[in-house]
Amino acid sequence: MNRIRGSYLLVAALATLAVVAAACGSTSTPGTASKGTVTVAGFNFPESSILANLYGEALAHDGYTVNYKLNLGTRTVVAPALSSGQIDIYPGYAASELEYYNHGAGEATSDPVATTAKLNTYLATINAVALTPSAAFDGNAYAVTKATATKYNLTKLSDLTPIAGQLVFGAGPECPTYKFCLPGLMSVYGLHFKQTLTLDTDGPATRAAFKNGSIQVGLVFSSDADLNALGLVVLQDDMHMIAADNVVPVVRTAIATDEVKTVLNKIDAGLTTADLVTMNGQVELLHQDADAVAMAYLQQHNYFS
Amino acid sequence: MPSRLFLDLVDPWINWAWLSTHIPYVWAAVEQHLTLTVIALAGGLAIALPLGIAARRWTNLHLRPAALAVFGGFYTIPSIALFALLIPYTGLGTLTAEIPLVGYNVLILVRNVLVGLDAVPPDVIDAANGMGYRPWARLLRIELPLALPAIFAGLRVATVSTIGIVTITAVIGLGGLGQLILRGLIESFHTPLVVATVLCIVLALVADLLIAGVQRLAVPWARPA
Amino acid sequence: MSLLQATFQWLTDPSHWQGIDGIPTRIGEQVHLSIESVAIGAVIALPVGIVLGHYGRFGTLAINISNVGRAVPSFGILVIAFQVFGLGDLPIVIALTALAVPPMVTNTYVALREVDPDVKDAARGMGYREFAQVLRVELPLAVPLIMAGVRTSAVQVVATATLAALIAGGGLGRYIVDGLARSDYPRTLAGALLVAALALSTEFLLAGLQRVLVPRGIRLLNAPASRRAGTFKTA
Repeated sequence: MNRIRGSYLLVAALATLAVVAAACGSTSTPGTASKGTVTVAGFNFPESSILANLYGEALAHDGYTVNYKLNLGTRTVVAPALSSGQIDIYPGYAASELEYYNHGAGEATSDPVATTAKLNTYLATINAVALTPSAAFDGNAYAVTKATATKYNLTKLSDLTPIAGQLVFGAGPECPTYKFCLPGLMSVYGLHFKQTLTLDTDGPATRAAFKNGSIQVGLVFSSDADLNALGLVVLQDDMHMIAADNVVPVVRTAIATDEVKTVLNKIDAGLTTADLVTMNGQVELLHQDADAVAMAYLQQHNYFS
Repeated sequence: MPSRLFLDLVDPWINWAWLSTHIPYVWAAVEQHLTLTVIALAGGLAIALPLGIAARRWTNLHLRPAALAVFGGFYTIPSIALFALLIPYTGLGTLTAEIPLVGYNVLILVRNVLVGLDAVPPDVIDAANGMGYRPWARLLRIELPLALPAIFAGLRVATVSTIGIVTITAVIGLGGLGQLILRGLIESFHTPLVVATVLCIVLALVADLLIAGVQRLAVPWARPA
Repeated sequence: MSLLQATFQWLTDPSHWQGIDGIPTRIGEQVHLSIESVAIGAVIALPVGIVLGHYGRFGTLAINISNVGRAVPSFGILVIAFQVFGLGDLPIVIALTALAVPPMVTNTYVALREVDPDVKDAARGMGYREFAQVLRVELPLAVPLIMAGVRTSAVQVVATATLAALIAGGGLGRYIVDGLARSDYPRTLAGALLVAALALSTEFLLAGLQRVLVPRGIRLLNAPASRRAGTFKTA
């Protein structure tokens, strides 16, 4: 009988433990002598983690308590998290943000300042704001292998027009419905590919598809560090279809004090596309950690002195 | 033109130098993995135990077919879809991760609670009645302890299964070791990928043995399988 | 319009029922991947289970293989296989096969173990050679439990084949991943519902097949449901 009673207690204990553990699901670190807590998020690619760490480390240096939510996913995941206040800041790209918040209305242009101003009219409705766009640019870029470039003598996107029907194009799942991706290639350049494969957005599947020859043209990003090593050539956007995807922090209005704006604007003012390529290389090719790469950048550029 | 297309050809399966400097990083992932797992199991038990007991106690309420149908249907929906669908309602983070995990565990556990209670021999129930036990007291003090081996068996299945599914929560920014798998995919970097996969297996086996050990202590009359 | 209404409209839109991204194509891909994986899994698992069960040795080994197998995260295997083999069906088939093997090994082992020793003695007494005894006496008796293992494997494989879309593969996961990328929630929800429906249909279809395959005389001896390795999720 004792044994049975012991087990009965065990069941009770398990049930109690269950309730207690379920109740304390999340942990929070109260900031001591902190200027406040901000949560910095990033998309699911290395550059976004680097940028999020740049912002986060600079804010931490300034006295904020910083939480990170990195590799969150695509804009579909990150943007709702911002409007519901679960994250406070994320590194955006002016044109892509605008086209997300305006539901693909095609209002973005190649001018970063105008694009950001337009973006802010939409962000105001969700109590968020985009700060000053950086000169650093990471937009869609369309690449071919060196072999394809040589074979057809390609240097710019309009060179593709007559031969697109012989080529297979690969890009991420959003490309077929995103104005500056496949629809733009079709309407601006008249590119009608033999086939379009849904792979990933500038990720390992796109690289694998180039490698095994299942695509000849693919969507990459202009700040990729590995294009040369992969034997890929970016075709020039000679008809200016590609919109101003300059790096710009998107911040909840409640968090966007003058102090926060100053810290973030200072980073964006100094950042260049070449810096992005270098840091992406350190993460993607040398497998350094995004936080360490960001910290080294901030130290090298004397942000902490 | 012999352009070297792929750098990952030279990436070793495990880069020990990287690993040795990233122990805290890996450990943080393990900790998150275990936290998510424990919450999912605790939440599952917290729902499944009362539900199973209630279904057994008040058979006229038809809780059993209802629970098995609802949670059985839930169980067939892949976790990745559930995480995606919950984001607009529950946002990011632990709650979105735990709703599917807990739901899956409820099915596994409630099924085993019921199997365990069903298997209590009628003689035992007669004897308890004869000793003057009221229905509730009989259920909690006689039937439930006898159902423990089946409940433990369910707990082991739920544990091993949860440790695997937690990796998928990487798609909503959590994931524990899944975060390392995702990094391996994004950067074509083998080390975090292999380390995380191996650690997942190790965690599952250790947790399984641990629960089997607890079971042996708590229910010594029934040997774990 | 509510999300559910939008999803219903998405599902009933005729344009979503044709072409290479149409529902029939995606279901076909998911089923094709699943059948391939379960078939390969069966070719590996059944002989192992039969041999171990027939000789009754290495029982702990069989059970442990199954436990280790269940602990293998499909997502991890999928990504590792993708690193090795690149684009194509191979990585997902490998991950799904790894998922399909354990329940079939365990169930086959248990099924062969549970054949009544008297029946085996009788078979030997009637002059059956060992191979003929396994094939003509033990296996027919073991079919119910073996089929239960196949069913368990198939259901979890069908659901998990969804992960193929994470590495640019096809199948119903395509709708889930694409819907997320395009902020097209009805597409995502429709994908989730289709997977759930496909998994449930697999369960019922195989339950029916099991009924047809099991010799009538044996149905009465059907092993209790609790012995069947329960459905098991890894994704």
